[in-house]
Amino acid sequence: MTWSDLGTIAPIVAAVLVAGAILIVDMAMPGRRDAILVTSLGGLVVVGITILVQAGRTGTAFGGAYSLDNLSVFLDILFVIIAALTILFGGDYLEPRGLPLAEFAAVLMFAVTGGMLVSASTDLLLLFVALELIVLPGYMLAAFARNDGYSTEGAIKYFLLGSFSSAILLFGLAYVWGMTGTTRVDGVAAALTSQLAHGTIAPGLAMGLAFMTTGVAFKMAAVPFHYWTPDAYQGSPTPVTGYLSVGPKIGAFAIALRLFVGALGPLKADWLPIVILLAAATMTLGNLVAITQDNVKRMLAYSSIAHTGYILVGLAAYAGGQQSGLSAILFYGAAYTFMNMGAFAVVTALQRRPGVTSQITTFAGLGRRDPWLGALMTLFLLSLTGIPPLAGFWAKAYVILAAIQAGGWLTALAVLAMLNAAAAAFYYLRVVVYMYMREPADDNVPSRPSRLFRVGLAIAGVGTLIFGLFPAIVTAATNAASVFHT
Amino acid sequence: MHLPIVSLITFTPLVGALVVAVLPSRYPDAIRRTALAFALLAWVMSLGLLAAYAFGPAGFQFGETADWIPTFGIQYNVGVDGLSVLMLVLTTTLSWISILASFGPIKDRVKGYMISFLVLEVGMIGVFVALDLFLFYIYWEIVLVPMYLIIGIWGGSNRIYATMKFVLYTLVGSLLMLVAILATAFAFQSSHGGSWTGAFDFIQLQRYAAGGGFADNLQILAFLALFLAFAIKVPMFPFHTWLPDAHTEAPTAGSVILAGVLLKLGAYGLIRFAVPLYPYAAHTFAWPIIGLSVVAIVYGAIVSIVQPDLKRLVAYSSVSHMGFVTLGIFVFSATAYQGAVLQMINHGLITGGLFLLVGVVYERTHDRTIAKMGGLASKMPIWATVFGFFILASAGLPGLSGFVGEFLVFVGSFGVAPIISVSSIIVMVLAATYLLWMFQRVAFGTVTDFLTGLGGHLTDMTRVEAVTLVPLAFMIVVLGLFPSLVLDFLRTPAQAFLAAAAAVHG
Repeated sequence: MTWSDLGTIAPIVAAVLVAGAILIVDMAMPGRRDAILVTSLGGLVVVGITILVQAGRTGTAFGGAYSLDNLSVFLDILFVIIAALTILFGGDYLEPRGLPLAEFAAVLMFAVTGGMLVSASTDLLLLFVALELIVLPGYMLAAFARNDGYSTEGAIKYFLLGSFSSAILLFGLAYVWGMTGTTRVDGVAAALTSQLAHGTIAPGLAMGLAFMTTGVAFKMAAVPFHYWTPDAYQGSPTPVTGYLSVGPKIGAFAIALRLFVGALGPLKADWLPIVILLAAATMTLGNLVAITQDNVKRMLAYSSIAHTGYILVGLAAYAGGQQSGLSAILFYGAAYTFMNMGAFAVVTALQRRPGVTSQITTFAGLGRRDPWLGALMTLFLLSLTGIPPLAGFWAKAYVILAAIQAGGWLTALAVLAMLNAAAAAFYYLRVVVYMYMREPADDNVPSRPSRLFRVGLAIAGVGTLIFGLFPAIVTAATNAASVFHT
Repeated sequence: MHLPIVSLITFTPLVGALVVAVLPSRYPDAIRRTALAFALLAWVMSLGLLAAYAFGPAGFQFGETADWIPTFGIQYNVGVDGLSVLMLVLTTTLSWISILASFGPIKDRVKGYMISFLVLEVGMIGVFVALDLFLFYIYWEIVLVPMYLIIGIWGGSNRIYATMKFVLYTLVGSLLMLVAILATAFAFQSSHGGSWTGAFDFIQLQRYAAGGGFADNLQILAFLALFLAFAIKVPMFPFHTWLPDAHTEAPTAGSVILAGVLLKLGAYGLIRFAVPLYPYAAHTFAWPIIGLSVVAIVYGAIVSIVQPDLKRLVAYSSVSHMGFVTLGIFVFSATAYQGAVLQMINHGLITGGLFLLVGVVYERTHDRTIAKMGGLASKMPIWATVFGFFILASAGLPGLSGFVGEFLVFVGSFGVAPIISVSSIIVMVLAATYLLWMFQRVAFGTVTDFLTGLGGHLTDMTRVEAVTLVPLAFMIVVLGLFPSLVLDFLRTPAQAFLAAAAAVHG
């Protein structure tokens, strides 16, 4: 390791230091929530600045295992935003339940470090380690309400299936390493290209590809590897669910970009049909099951599966020869972060009082009881549905445009995606029906969220709007970030 | 730089919505009046645009262009031709009338209602003036949300079912339309050296289509997607089943806008986009569509006869009347085109008026069942007179505007399809049947026990209610006597439409 290596990984170092600082502050000043909030949010600002300082630069560290490029900068910023929103939304949920904020923030920071590491990994082993760094804190966060049976149950399922899928992924990576003789992403790609030039691909590579696909599909909750998602999402404390629905998902797609696009790019004709099938199954099943849910958290869990399907359409479009598919994936991830975390935040706000369930009846008459919360939830749900001019609309438009450009079966996939979006309108708008068209069960005005919470809601809402009205600002960044593999 | 009058009209209601949003909800009267003021302002400006419109030159006037998403050549691109300027004025007129008509009936959550209505107006105007396909799509979807809320929050007892049905039907159509729009733009882009410039610009796309640019199978698929979206909105048989529910459950003003403007969005889409962009496909499917139109005309009329509910009857009569519009579009004749557009305007005025009049009765009786009414002419003489006038207009009485539109479609389609033309005009007899029979049952005969039981509540029309109907009745008479007032606007658009539709191959 050289000093220049350290400079390249400065954001990661900063994130680890922030996590450590949170733990130290908690020891030095026990019970001081404000100190924890200042440390974590201030720390995130510092991390963000460190990332932005690197924007536009490229470089590698540790002999090519770690690459700083536009993709890593884009995803790092996204992870910082996710972490900040999670902390802003977490406080209001944890405090009334007597759950510790410091551990929450510190564990989250470690997870974010993992996310940032994944997005810059260009080595199979580092990718795997970084992935574990995302998911291990994820298990802890899922079980954060440790006296709550559902939280524990969800976390156990998440942990068991997550470990299982990690092992499968690792198995696949080992095959690839064995067949190409290198763990460097560009080395794998070069080896595959030369093998392809000789006309044969070793059968072991096909095995490796199959295992890796399975492992990554587990992590991104693609059908039929999604079974852990609904229980983990429903059981987790609501702000954690909000985090889980975006953080690890974007992490999984970062792996897909580095692994499938970067390392396995030469084989894309081989994995294209698999991704098409995964995408079609994921969005269709996710939507169909979401329709039948009466619990909003569970509904959002299934809908997040459906959104995985839409994002996979972007990956398929890339495999079909459209570079714009990658840009669409990144746009989708960013838009989804704001609108989905916003939607979970509204659920969190309603659940400030312990004992309030996330059943859809909780939302009855919300538009009257708390007009702002109702309006924001409507905004997020409309965006998730894909109504213009909101963030989610452009996300879908870019994905299906890339698919249409790729042509062939992908056009059919685009049509299927749009039919799915129409079906999704049913369950998203059902919540709006409860909020505005049904009378509340009681006249309880939900207790007013704290100021920080409202700041978080404002960020999510403004993000959803700005992405929708001025998508060109974001596409400039996603276009730049989508060119990362040489 | 000239005055961006089209944008001013489009966004005046949006400014109104923002102003209403900051008004405190404890002053409902201030909210109502502010909303009305902005709707009237948009109306006045649209009348100014109507007056400033020049008949002579072909193409679009008052155009405005600004880059929006340069990567894909998506622009803020608006402008009007004779067709859109007429639709624009219809929209702004019915909008303020609807807002005024809501003063009494809407007592709950006035602020949200007025915001929804003004945003709805923005979307409707936008659809009629957008010349960028993407922009058009966005306005098209914007219309959906406020209407969903208006039916779902302020509607009748079965409102949630009705509004979900409305949204899901519309979304299925419109999302497929989005795929078609993107595919069209991509086909344009790949044949223009990979440059997105102009790929969503209607004028450039249409020029390319006129040169036979789009491949036949792309035309077929894209046309079917657009047709589905528009046919659901019109609504054409068999995509009409959302309409009776939505109309019946919507509040009065919602029904007025639904019938008056929203159905026109579909017909406008067919005229503006579906036919000119995909002329080959339009000709391929012309006969099936003409067939569906005739089915709609006959079916709508027959089903109207047996409707027990006033609003449902008017709703089904819309299916019948809008059938003349789609018939007039797809016989590809200048006369039929003018008739179709005139019929769109007439239907907006007449059916809008009928819904207002049904609303007047509903306000007093909280019922719309025809069987419970009777002898209303003796209790509400002014109402009954005005109702009779609109009934006759809807039945196509010569001298009133409804007659002219249907007559022009009849004449225009006779040369192409005489049997269909004649059979559709025979249906006007059916229209007279269901309308006059309904009028007879409601207005004449003995006063029913139900109405007697209401006692003093059964008052005649108020002044505000009359004000909402006078402009409509006035226009019906004027257009009935001087249809050329409208037809003059349509001369160049009709030629442009026929030229575009004729460009089947190269």
